[in-house]
Amino acid sequence: MTTATHPAEPFVHPALFYADTDQYLAGTVSFIRAGLAAGEPVAVAVPNENLALIQDALGADGDAVRFLDMREAGRNPGRIIPGVLRAFADAQPAGRRVHIIGEPIWAGRSPDEYPACAQHEALINAAFQGREVSILCPYDTSRLDERVLADAHATHPVVIPAGSTDELVSPAYDPDGVVARYNLPLPPAPGAGPEVFGAAFAEDSLSAVRHLATEHGARLGLAGTALENLALITAELTTNSVVHGGGTGTLTVWPQDGYVLCEVRDKGRLADPLAGRRPPARDQRGGRGLLLVNLLSDLVRVHTGPEGTTIRSYLGR
Amino acid sequence: MSAPEPARLLPTAAVPQQAAPRLDVYPLTGRSGFRAVGEVSLPTRDIWERALERVVREAGDVGGEDVYYLELSAVTFVDVAGAGALADTTKNLGGGCRLVLDRPPDSLPRILGLLWPSLSGIEVSTS
Repeated sequence: MTTATHPAEPFVHPALFYADTDQYLAGTVSFIRAGLAAGEPVAVAVPNENLALIQDALGADGDAVRFLDMREAGRNPGRIIPGVLRAFADAQPAGRRVHIIGEPIWAGRSPDEYPACAQHEALINAAFQGREVSILCPYDTSRLDERVLADAHATHPVVIPAGSTDELVSPAYDPDGVVARYNLPLPPAPGAGPEVFGAAFAEDSLSAVRHLATEHGARLGLAGTALENLALITAELTTNSVVHGGGTGTLTVWPQDGYVLCEVRDKGRLADPLAGRRPPARDQRGGRGLLLVNLLSDLVRVHTGPEGTTIRSYLGR
Repeated sequence: MSAPEPARLLPTAAVPQQAAPRLDVYPLTGRSGFRAVGEVSLPTRDIWERALERVVREAGDVGGEDVYYLELSAVTFVDVAGAGALADTTKNLGGGCRLVLDRPPDSLPRILGLLWPSLSGIEVSTS
């Protein structure tokens, strides 16, 4: 490994490995103070217990920092780029480097969530290419498993080893490889049963399947805003299949753990891995359906390939 | 893996032959704008967009400052594209005009806030 330099690419995206609280604070607080000292905007989006550590260490200096609990704001990894990172970066005046600490992966992330987390970390690189932005991503080496730490070397062009301040080029850097590797087939939705609603749809049945899916969501315990969200998500996913995904698809709604899952399969292929992760452009007309699905869901998993596309949205009950 | 699995679909959950969704639009009396009844989704999108285009045309004919009311209490659903057509309408109306959404479905102001956060010239009336 050699010491990293950033001659051409203004976007800086290091992984910060830490084994304990001292290492965590040494790496994060110095990053924050450097941004503040330059008079530049700083945001910190990390799990709430780490947020408290950083706030305590910064004291009154923290008044100039935007703090977000990543467990809430980034529960769905697909929401983090549009809803957290770019929402902050795009709101800052041009001409000043933006500094963000983003910790999207913690020990409690479930096996369903992790592939979406790894893809999110990889896609940050494409989403911020060419931008005067630094995003530091802490990784807890004492609690995350080997595979997660290895993936962090592939999703970050630069790594800071635990207990070090050296920024090293990561020879394993391969974000496209990570996006492809975690483009995994989803376990099959359950078959017929009283708790499962399944239906094929086409343009003339869009409205009917939305009504039936929403009625089923209500039977499964969704109410109020969560039930509205199921109707919106069903509408956007099924409409996408009709307009872009070959004209037809299948919809399944069922309960799993504490969630209601809504899945749409069609014959289309999702060519753009950043679809649904860009904040809306001011004058852009379409393309906001998947963004809304990402903003409203507790988790979104996608599998796409030559055979077709499956998108699965999780809504907390 | 993405091959359809028709066997797992419930035969009894086949979609009933429900009537096609409707959207009916009526001009308001006594104030500018329209009342809509039904839902805004892909099958009714053209009707919605034509109604909104009429609002923009009328605003152009009249000129100057004006308020347009969309009475939406009988609209059961508006999808993202329908919200986008509203966002376009407020841009096309220009600075002097305002659009008032009268009792829209709860999700509509929420979609507009999430996806068009800097939109101006649109108001929500819930009374």
